[in-house]
Amino acid sequence: MAPIQGLDSLSNALATLAQLSTSSSSLDGVPTDLEASVRFAGSLLTQAAGVLLRLPQEVIAQAVVIFTRFWIGPEGGSLAIYSAKDISAASVYLTAKLSFQPTSPRSVLNVYSFLLSKEASPLWFVNPNGPGVQPAPETYYLSEGTYQSERLVLLRMEATILRTLGFQIRVIIPHTIALTYLQTMNATSPALAKRIFEHLSAALLSPQLLYVTHQPNALAVAAIYLGAREEGVKLADGEWWKVFDVDREELGFLVVAMRSMNGFAMAEKDKWKTQPIPLIADDVMEELEKKRASDGD
Amino acid sequence: MSTTLKSRWADDNDDDPEVEAQRKHEKEKKKLAKATKQRKLEVKDSAQEQQQQEDENTFNGEAERPAKRRRLSEDAGMPVEAEPKRAICLRFPAPEWGPCRHVDNFEKLNHIEEGSYGWVSRAKDIVTGEIVALKKLKMENSPDGFPVTGLREIQMLMEARHHNIVHLREVVVGDKMDDVYLVMDFLEHDLKTLLDEMREPFLPSEIKTLLLQILSATEFLHSHWILHRDMKTSNLLMNNRGEIKLADFGMARYYGDPPPKLTQLVVTLWYRSPELLLGSEKYGPEIDIFAVTGPPTQQTWPSFRSLPNARSLRLPPSSKSASVTGPVLLPRSKFPYLTNAGLALMSVLLALNPASRPNVAECLKHPYFHEDPRPKPKEMFPTFPSKARLERRRRRETPEAPKHGAEAPQLDFADVFSAPLEGDTGEVGAGFTLRLG
Ligand SMILES: Nc1ncnc2c1ncn2[C@@H]1O[C@H](COP(=O)(O)OP(=O)(O)O)[C@@H](O)[C@H]1O
Ligand SMILES: [Mg+2]
Repeated sequence: MAPIQGLDSLSNALATLAQLSTSSSSLDGVPTDLEASVRFAGSLLTQAAGVLLRLPQEVIAQAVVIFTRFWIGPEGGSLAIYSAKDISAASVYLTAKLSFQPTSPRSVLNVYSFLLSKEASPLWFVNPNGPGVQPAPETYYLSEGTYQSERLVLLRMEATILRTLGFQIRVIIPHTIALTYLQTMNATSPALAKRIFEHLSAALLSPQLLYVTHQPNALAVAAIYLGAREEGVKLADGEWWKVFDVDREELGFLVVAMRSMNGFAMAEKDKWKTQPIPLIADDVMEELEKKRASDGD
Repeated sequence: MSTTLKSRWADDNDDDPEVEAQRKHEKEKKKLAKATKQRKLEVKDSAQEQQQQEDENTFNGEAERPAKRRRLSEDAGMPVEAEPKRAICLRFPAPEWGPCRHVDNFEKLNHIEEGSYGWVSRAKDIVTGEIVALKKLKMENSPDGFPVTGLREIQMLMEARHHNIVHLREVVVGDKMDDVYLVMDFLEHDLKTLLDEMREPFLPSEIKTLLLQILSATEFLHSHWILHRDMKTSNLLMNNRGEIKLADFGMARYYGDPPPKLTQLVVTLWYRSPELLLGSEKYGPEIDIFAVTGPPTQQTWPSFRSLPNARSLRLPPSSKSASVTGPVLLPRSKFPYLTNAGLALMSVLLALNPASRPNVAECLKHPYFHEDPRPKPKEMFPTFPSKARLERRRRRETPEAPKHGAEAPQLDFADVFSAPLEGDTGEVGAGFTLRLG
């Protein structure tokens, strides 16, 4: 692994250019757009699981970042080998374990069993047609036998994540930083704070991988900039973002990226409206085969 | 959730080195192929960038128009429209990540010590020849996966980059999923072994230098919201250049303000501050401050009877009436070699009431460090033969931090303050003994 460098208390490990240019999945033949779709669905799944497990927002966001880091770079995890749903579950389990609110393998697996159930799941990328009216509990309950084998997978994936990331699993989340900045600028309002948080949470799902390419202070500043504009709140005069160590170029990029999130999400939903997004390695491979076949026609 | 999944993980043994090797080999081939395609890719990348650029322009041009007009009158320095930008625009040096290397990159030289959480050995980096310490994490076939203590230890060592904190170079792994090793800079001594073996004790000037370094590490940790929670001599490493480095973050935790409920199961008993012994669920950086000096002696702490374990504490009668306002000095007779300032500092460090313990910054300002003899420059320190480097060391009975997952020991407090309580004149302080029931 890369030699460990000191972590500033407000900075995160970021992906290198080399890591961003080639992913393990692409080496295995997974097309970039499919990879982006699976990563997007996996992040949504992670968020949904975190909410059902009643984890704090911060922990959920950290889990999504861990999940995102895992797939990056030629030495990262490949969608042809690892199932997005397993990495998602292990990310949630691992992050919660390190938080003040750990959770049990059983709770995690129960929640995933429900969220991935073809009959009961409320998630559009699992059930494009919506859940059945009254799905029978058997369709999403975890039997003891399945639980035992799933638990082994969960713990194995936890170890895999740790090894793949060289134990770089600390994630600083920009939300509190944003609030502190707002206070510094005397611009706290609940509506503005809510806006900012929405942008920061949406940015977790960005296909541009904002949380692994930009430091939390920059994400915070961009969300503030955008939120203030949308709410019509006037912030300090002049180039206030410089005070928070963000330059104009980075801010510009982030603002555009954050504003494009809605469009990206809509496009994904549209693209997958008849078919679930594959969250299991075998399904990804099947999708590849289908694509190859249709490309061949 | 699916049978394909089960078969994937149950039969297909991921640990199998052959499977692993083959997978690696295939990856390498693909990587090579990829590299040749790289030029094409770069072209494509810039095309993508251009596309994004166009997107941005359209975006700014259309959706943004009303806002843009409004903004023009508001503030001048609009970043979004102002400049074209690349997909990845800012790259200041940040920490990176990559997969763990294999422990085979190190050659084990000798075993150093077995503590409560890991096996430590001296080893050599096969490529660079550098000498390091390898600490194997104990997994104790934990049913909950990777032990949280090990995770915290690694995380905090990664974060705690300080001259007086042991340097974690990397984490390496073995063939089994459970084999995880910390690779640290090797230090010749730990203070416990050194103190055991030394023929002459440290001089007062040397003690000051050591203490300053320990306090410096402690201040750094506390300013990063990290509690070490197991400060003791065997976790303080020292090299032959008079430098001290705090090690063993197996018990360390982040703490918040207000402090969340932390486990009571911390800090080896002799070094435990009374609020831990008595079952307080809230504690803070004061616990590390207490441990800097060691076992307590009789003092007063007005509200401690409200703590859960205090009920089982039989106190000698006189203590009930004890109520002291200023800091109580430790008995001078117990510390004949300490100056008044030294005694005063030690007394406040060991204050039973956490609120009256000083913080690290206050400690560092204490007159003790400014009176003669002055702290000895590190370069002037004597060197000592290193047990860790030469031979297996003798083990002594030392209290260990409680095993993770174990119950907090039931304490019989009858003996805790067993010494006669006649003010600060006599044997008080020596009577601190704990029996584990
Ligand atoms: N970096 C190092 N260099 C030399 N010796 C070390 C190093 N780290 C640990 N040791 C030795 O190993 C012992 C146990 O290590 P420690 O990290 O305290 O593990 P444990 O959690 O088992 O107490 C220490 O007391 C010290 O003697
Ligand atoms: Mg130790």
